[in-house]
Amino acid sequence: MSTSGKRGMLGLALVIPSFLILFVVVILPILYAVRESLIDQNSGEFGLGNYIRLFTDPAMRKNITYTLNVTIVSTLLSLLISYSMAVYLRFSTSWMARWINRLYFVPMFVPGVIATYGLITLYGNHGWMVRLLLLLGIDSFPKIIYDYNGLVLANLWFNIPFATMLLSSALAAVPNSVIESARDAGANIWQLFFRFILPLSYKTMWVAITFIFMGIIGSFTAPFLIGANSPQVLGVAMQQVFSNYQETHTSSAMAVFMFLLCSVMGYFYIRTMGKDADV
Amino acid sequence: MVQAQRKMQTQVGTAEQGDTEAQLSIRNLSKIFKTGDGVTDISLDVQPGEMVTLLGPSGCGKTTVLRSIGGFLEPDSGDILIRGRSVLNLPPEKRPTAMVFQSYNLWPHMTVQDNLAFGLKIRKRKKVEIERSVTEALELVQLSGAARKYPGELSGGQQQRVALARALLLQPDVLLLDEPFSALDAKLRMEMREELREIQTKTGMTMVFVTHDQEEALSISDRIVVMHAGKIEQLSTPQDIYDRPGSLFVASFIGRINLMRSISDGQHIAVGSKVVQQDGSTSIPAGACTLAVRPEDLYLTGEPDSLEGTIRQVMVLGHYAEVSIHCEQEHLKMFVPREQAAELHSGQAVKVGFHKFTAFSEVSS
Ligand SMILES: Nc1ncnc2c1ncn2[C@@H]1O[C@H](COP(=O)(O)OP(=O)(O)OP(=O)(O)O)[C@@H](O)[C@H]1O
Ligand SMILES: [Mg+2]
Repeated sequence: MSTSGKRGMLGLALVIPSFLILFVVVILPILYAVRESLIDQNSGEFGLGNYIRLFTDPAMRKNITYTLNVTIVSTLLSLLISYSMAVYLRFSTSWMARWINRLYFVPMFVPGVIATYGLITLYGNHGWMVRLLLLLGIDSFPKIIYDYNGLVLANLWFNIPFATMLLSSALAAVPNSVIESARDAGANIWQLFFRFILPLSYKTMWVAITFIFMGIIGSFTAPFLIGANSPQVLGVAMQQVFSNYQETHTSSAMAVFMFLLCSVMGYFYIRTMGKDADV
Repeated sequence: MVQAQRKMQTQVGTAEQGDTEAQLSIRNLSKIFKTGDGVTDISLDVQPGEMVTLLGPSGCGKTTVLRSIGGFLEPDSGDILIRGRSVLNLPPEKRPTAMVFQSYNLWPHMTVQDNLAFGLKIRKRKKVEIERSVTEALELVQLSGAARKYPGELSGGQQQRVALARALLLQPDVLLLDEPFSALDAKLRMEMREELREIQTKTGMTMVFVTHDQEEALSISDRIVVMHAGKIEQLSTPQDIYDRPGSLFVASFIGRINLMRSISDGQHIAVGSKVVQQDGSTSIPAGACTLAVRPEDLYLTGEPDSLEGTIRQVMVLGHYAEVSIHCEQEHLKMFVPREQAAELHSGQAVKVGFHKFTAFSEVSS
C-alpha cells in the first residue's frame, strides 16, 4: 500500500508541472475569454448580448459565412490537392516525382508575411502574371489579390506542403504487400484506391482536415494583407473590433465562437481516432 | 531423372510439341537484382494438376521465381507461359495466378470474411455463393470461428491459413504458394499438407509450392526443383532426388546423408579399407571423390570388405536407434532397429557395410 501510494504521489508530482502550465496558458485564458464574452459590450451586464449581436448584425453575419466559405473551400481544395500529390509521390517512380518529393515542402520554410507579399508581387494588379499575360496579348486578368480567390490561393500555399507531408507518411505506411496481394486477387486501379489505399489512410486524412481547418479559420496574416475590406474573415474582423473599436467583449465573443467551431472539428477528430482504437 | 532431363532438353528446343500442353511453362527465366543476386536460366514445365516444389536454402531465389510468375517482378529475360499463352506483359491483376505470400499479406482493415470475399466480389459472384464459398474455405483451414475477426487479432499461423484460403477461393490456373505452412506447428502443418494434397486431387489445381523444408518437399510434391544460388540444381521426382541426387549439394541438402572422402581409379572407388565397384551409370574419373550413403543404407556386418569403426553414441529414437560411428576418420550415422541397438554400446568395435551409394567427383563439382 505504502509503495503504491508513494508511486501515486510521484506520478502526481510528475504530472503537476505540465498541468499547471496547461492551466495557466490554455485553460485560464479560455475561461477568461468566456467570462469577458458574457459581459455585454453596450450595457456592461452579464448575458448573451454580444452573441446575439454577433449573429444578428448583417455585416458580422456576412463575415461569418464568408469565413466558413473560405475555410471550407480552402480546406477541401488543399486536401484534394495534397492527397493527389501524396498518392502520386507514393506510387510514381518517375524523375518528376523525385523532384517534387524534394521540393514540395519548401513553402513551409518561407515566413508567412514574405510569402504573402510574394503572392501580391506575382498575382497583384501590376504583378508579374499580369505583365506576362500582357506580353502575350492577353489583357484581362481575374482579380485575385484583395479578393476571395487570393485568400484561397494563400491558404493553399500555406497548407498544401504540410498536408502533403502528413498524407505522404500515411501512404508510406500502406505496405506494398497489401497492394500486391490486392492486385493478385484481381483488384483494378479504382478498386485498389477505394478499397485499400483510401481506407488505410483516411484516418490521417482526418488529421489533415482538422489541422488545415483550424489553421485557416484562425488565420490572420494573409487575410490581413490580401483580403478584401468587406466582408472580412473572422480573424481580421476580430482584430478590428479589438484594436480599432476597442470592443473587448465583442471580440471575446467572436473568439469563443471560433473556439467552438474548432472544438466541433476536434470532436470529430477525437471520435475518428477513438473508433480505430476500438477495432 | 532421365525423364526429367529429357523434359528439360525439350524445353530448350521446341517445347510446344509436348504430348500434353504444360499448364505453366517457364523458359530460360533470368532475373538479376541490382545487388547481383537473383536467378538465372530457370526452365520448368508444370503439367496440369501437378504440384511442383521449389526447394532450396534461404536466399537461393525461390521467392524470386514465384514472384516472377505472379507478375510482381519483371524478368530480365526468358518467358512465362500459362496454358500456352505468354503472361509476361500481363499485370498481376490480369494473370490467372493466385499467390499465398510468404508474409501472408492479409488486408488489415478488412475482417477475415471480407478478406476472403473480396476476390469473389470483384469477380461479381452471387452473394449467397460467396457466403457459401467463404464458409467452406474457412472450414477447410479450420478457422470457422474467425470470420468476424481482423487479421491483427489472429496468430501468425492463423493468418497464414487465411491467406491460403483466400488464394484457394480464387480458383487460379496456377496456385503459387510461398512457404505457406512455415508458421504452423508440426501437427497442423501435417494436416494442412494433407488438406492441400486433397484439394489438389479434388480440384486438379496446378500448384507451385515453395519451401526450404526438404521433408515437406519430399512428402507433398509430384516433382521437386532443387535450387541453389539462383540456379536449378536438379529437377525430378522426390524418390529420384532422394535416391539419386544429381550433385553433392542435392545429396547433402535432401535428407540425411553420410559423406565419405574417397579415391577413384576410374573403375573402383576406395573408401578407407573398403573398395566398391562403380556401376555403369555413374562414371567417376580417377582422382579424389566423395561417396554419399544414406544412414538407412548402412548396415552392421561381419563381411570382410567393410569399414571398421567404433561406436561413439547410441541414441534410441522411438522404434529405431541412431548410431554414431567413428569410422576411418569419418563420422557416420546409421539407423538400427531397437532390439539390435540394445546390444550396442559406445566404444564397441563394429564393421559397417553398404551397397547403395552415390559418388561425386571432386574434380567436376
Ligand atoms: N528486391 C530485391 N532487391 C535486391 N535483391 C533481392 C531482392 N529480392 C531478393 N533479392 C535477393 O535475391 C536472392 C534471392 O531472394 P529470394 O527472396 O528469391 O530468396 P528465397 O529463396 O525465397 O529465400 P527464403 O527461403 O529466405 O525466402 C537473395 O539473395 C536476395 O537477397
Ligand atoms: Mg522466399
